[in-house]
Amino acid sequence: MINFIQFTLTRAGLAIITLLLVCFIVFSLMELVPGTCAERYLAFKNTQGSQITYEDIEKEKIRLGLDKPFLYRYGKWVSNIVFNGDFGDSCILRMNINELLSGRFMLSLTICLVALIFSYLIAIPVGIISATTKYASLDNTLKFISYLGIALPNFLVALCIMLFMTVYYGDTMTGLFSQDYENEPWSSAKLFDFLSRAWLPIFVLGWNATAFALQTVRALMLDENDKLYVMAARARGISGMSLLWRYPAKHSLGPVINSIGFDLNRIFSALPIVALILILTEAGALLIEALARSNDQQLAGAIIFLLTATIVFVNFITDIILAIIDPRIRKGVMGGG
Amino acid sequence: MQYNCQIFLIKIQKCIQKKYTINLSYRRKYMLKKLFIILVFSFTTFVWSGSSFADGHCQGSTMNDGQTGGKYPQQYELSEYESAAGCTMKFSENPNIASINATIQGNKGLPGVADRLPDEPLVVVPYDSVGEYGGTINFLSNATEAGTSDMLSTRHVNLLRFADDLSTIVPNVAKDFEWNSDFTTLTFTLRKGHKWSNGEPFVARDVEFWYEDLMMNPKIREKPYPYLLVGGEPMTVDVIDDQTVRFNLPSPFPGLTATIAWSYNQFFMPSHFLEQFHPEIDSNADANAQALGFADGYDALAAYYGNSGWTDTPTPLLARPDLVAGLPYAAYPSLEAYMTIEDTTEGRVYAANPYFHQVDTAGNQLPYIDYQNERYINENEIRLLKLVNGEVDYKSQSVQLESAPQLLDGADAGGYSVQINPGCGAALFSFNVTHPDPEKRKVYGDIRFRQAMSIAMNRDEINDVAYYGLGKVEQFVGFSPAPDFVPESIKMHMTQYDPDGANALLDEVGLKDVDGDGFRELPNGDALAINIDYATQGIGGVEVELVARYFNEVGVKTTFKEVTPDEYRGSQAANQLDVHVWDKGQPLAIVAGNPETFKPPFGNYFNHTQGLDWAAYIDSNGSEGTEPPQWVYDLSDGIDKFQSYALGTAESNEWGEKIATMLTEQSLLIGTVKAPFPTYHRNALKNFTQFKTTSYEYYRTYPYLATQWWLDE
Repeated sequence: MINFIQFTLTRAGLAIITLLLVCFIVFSLMELVPGTCAERYLAFKNTQGSQITYEDIEKEKIRLGLDKPFLYRYGKWVSNIVFNGDFGDSCILRMNINELLSGRFMLSLTICLVALIFSYLIAIPVGIISATTKYASLDNTLKFISYLGIALPNFLVALCIMLFMTVYYGDTMTGLFSQDYENEPWSSAKLFDFLSRAWLPIFVLGWNATAFALQTVRALMLDENDKLYVMAARARGISGMSLLWRYPAKHSLGPVINSIGFDLNRIFSALPIVALILILTEAGALLIEALARSNDQQLAGAIIFLLTATIVFVNFITDIILAIIDPRIRKGVMGGG
Repeated sequence: MQYNCQIFLIKIQKCIQKKYTINLSYRRKYMLKKLFIILVFSFTTFVWSGSSFADGHCQGSTMNDGQTGGKYPQQYELSEYESAAGCTMKFSENPNIASINATIQGNKGLPGVADRLPDEPLVVVPYDSVGEYGGTINFLSNATEAGTSDMLSTRHVNLLRFADDLSTIVPNVAKDFEWNSDFTTLTFTLRKGHKWSNGEPFVARDVEFWYEDLMMNPKIREKPYPYLLVGGEPMTVDVIDDQTVRFNLPSPFPGLTATIAWSYNQFFMPSHFLEQFHPEIDSNADANAQALGFADGYDALAAYYGNSGWTDTPTPLLARPDLVAGLPYAAYPSLEAYMTIEDTTEGRVYAANPYFHQVDTAGNQLPYIDYQNERYINENEIRLLKLVNGEVDYKSQSVQLESAPQLLDGADAGGYSVQINPGCGAALFSFNVTHPDPEKRKVYGDIRFRQAMSIAMNRDEINDVAYYGLGKVEQFVGFSPAPDFVPESIKMHMTQYDPDGANALLDEVGLKDVDGDGFRELPNGDALAINIDYATQGIGGVEVELVARYFNEVGVKTTFKEVTPDEYRGSQAANQLDVHVWDKGQPLAIVAGNPETFKPPFGNYFNHTQGLDWAAYIDSNGSEGTEPPQWVYDLSDGIDKFQSYALGTAESNEWGEKIATMLTEQSLLIGTVKAPFPTYHRNALKNFTQFKTTSYEYYRTYPYLATQWWLDE
């Protein structure tokens, strides 16, 4: 038991170090991009027709604290998060980041998690069928659909569906809510409204993720299916689904659980581009704005911080779960217990 | 009339003949009544063509009917209209105004429409029709504070305005204005009874407060906007009485009225509300602000006012959502046509201002449309899709010429129209005359080199290939569009395609192909390689590619590279560019107030700064930089002279021609083709006129009276 606690604490410690490291890397990379947020902000203003001078930009930099050294700014930012739970103000949007992200990050996470669950629900049974079916044509069809999911870029799928909807239904399918519900508190009607629109990003992201997961499950199943213990089970007269579920499938799914964190990250990485195309009002779209358009270190840092925190947390939990359920890992952790 | 009576009498006689028993007194009464009806009827028929009753109410006439305005085009003062149209005006209001008013936080119940309007409202003559109330107009912008000016201009007001001829300056919020003879005092008369959107009176003090206490206060604006200074010196503002306010200028500057007419900066702020947070005015300012949850008075001012002249800065709705519920107003009271009622990172919603000061010719209070709905979309392709789908009512900002074919294609199905209008600016090429490499500086500084590069360009081909043949070949003359005082020869100066002439000039400069590789070397024998860094925000790639080809064809080795706008600006600020390439252009009205094109570095951080070293020399009185040639000083003096005369006077035109000629003959900013831009509007949007330009200059829709747009749905 002591060993287990030690294992948990070490994992937790490593998770926190990973988190800080990732944020540091993001912060540093943004430092290398030419043009500061002050400049971008004033460039925005210039499109509005204002004459802007060098002094204006310098003043804006001072106002935003961009004249301070990099490490000082990073340190201040991190300590503010750790001690006050405050992400500070977004440079370009001029509003508090906590306020800005409060609902949006959860929306992003919901979309990603639903897409993830959706993909696993399809990938696991279909992967098993695909690996074990006697009909080559069924296997090939399933393979074809899943390869299509991998091969088609997400944004292209989104654009095609949008175009289709525009031409045939006169609705561009953009946004997460219709305007009536945008600023309403959550209710069953708003949830329904959300779902009537959110299916599109979930489908687009899910298809791609399903394809990946399906290939993984299929490959693992094929691997396990030929092993001796499966043959032994077959020899004992077990067959059909009960054979698959009790023997090869059980062992194939270990690595799948292990890759939940990884898959979540992959889905989230794909989200910003899709979100941008579909004008989703969630954190992924803000992330790409902050990274690519406004060089808003605070905002990008905050979103990456939250995302990394989620993934690190999910990994931490899956590690613990695996340590509990998988006898091989349990044995390693508990030291032979 | 007599004829009518005779018929009537005959009829009576007939009645008698038919032996009806008719009482005499009754007969007389009946006769009088009928007489009266006939009288009124004949008179109405007589004056109907004038569309008003002599003793009745104004029925409304439009620009189409030939009602083209009084002292100023397309508008009247109330009494002026009543006497011109021979009617009295009865005011009416939007039937939904009470519910609209209820969406504006802090607004109380409404008095009648006549009490909400100024005693002398501004009578606007609609373009085509007296509108119908109602509806929500849909707009698209890019993001908070980005690409929103197009939409903001539809609700914008200022003391003055450019009429749609883009040359006459007309009053809007002000009732009238008057210069003294030497352009050193500008006096505005305001409208008696004019009210802010919350019903409080709008007075001269609001103008003084805006200038003296906000714009000139270093705690709010560290440095005042250059266009609010005259020759670098501040003005003073005197309140004469509640309806009279005077700007005193340190030196003559007739361009001030043009600045007021195009500027997004509104020359007034609600002092009755904001003063309570101003620590230099109210000793309780900090306490007042803290009671509402702000850090101090200046914090409250910043939250409401955004500390800038921009009206697009976030309102407390976006910036301080946690405080909004406890605030007296969600946004400061305004004189604009619409009030912000929703402000999020996804978009904004505005409600019609129930106290707006304009009426149409039938006495209907403007604006006609109930709400404005502005959504943010930062993807060009998605915006285009929404436009093609007819989901937007009006848009011109950020709509590129490349999108025109798709837009025109979908116009019928989408129920919208597209105007292709000239822009004010054009993509210009300017050689860095203060390049850090002394040999390049010598070459770029040689006027013959710049002329050679200008005539090496095949502008007709550029027009065909890059602008679908819709552009106009033109030289840049410092003013854009070129005013009438610029001679045709200057407008077309060095725009002919003459590669042989270019080669001859380049030989003269001493650029010879020494090593025989087909490209010219610098006079000292070093290789000459021009690199054009460009960003698509400033110029299209196709045009750059063509120009690079023309330069190569006359033996000047040229490569080009697309960079991000930030990289471009970075290299520009560090004086590392060979050629500055960016869109630039300012119309007469703006040059009247802004001299930047005619003084080193001949532009600003966001377009052209090819004379940085000369600017440094002048700014530092010779301790830094390089001394510019004499013509630079002449040009600089010339623009000062030009700005000291009122636009349209003989002196102004004379100096305008001089400086345009001086600048153009230097081939300093080389123009190619002036591109047009699409302006999109849905067909259901009525009273939408043909724009003269599609440009930010003149503040987009402001000259075209967006307040009289209405939705026919």
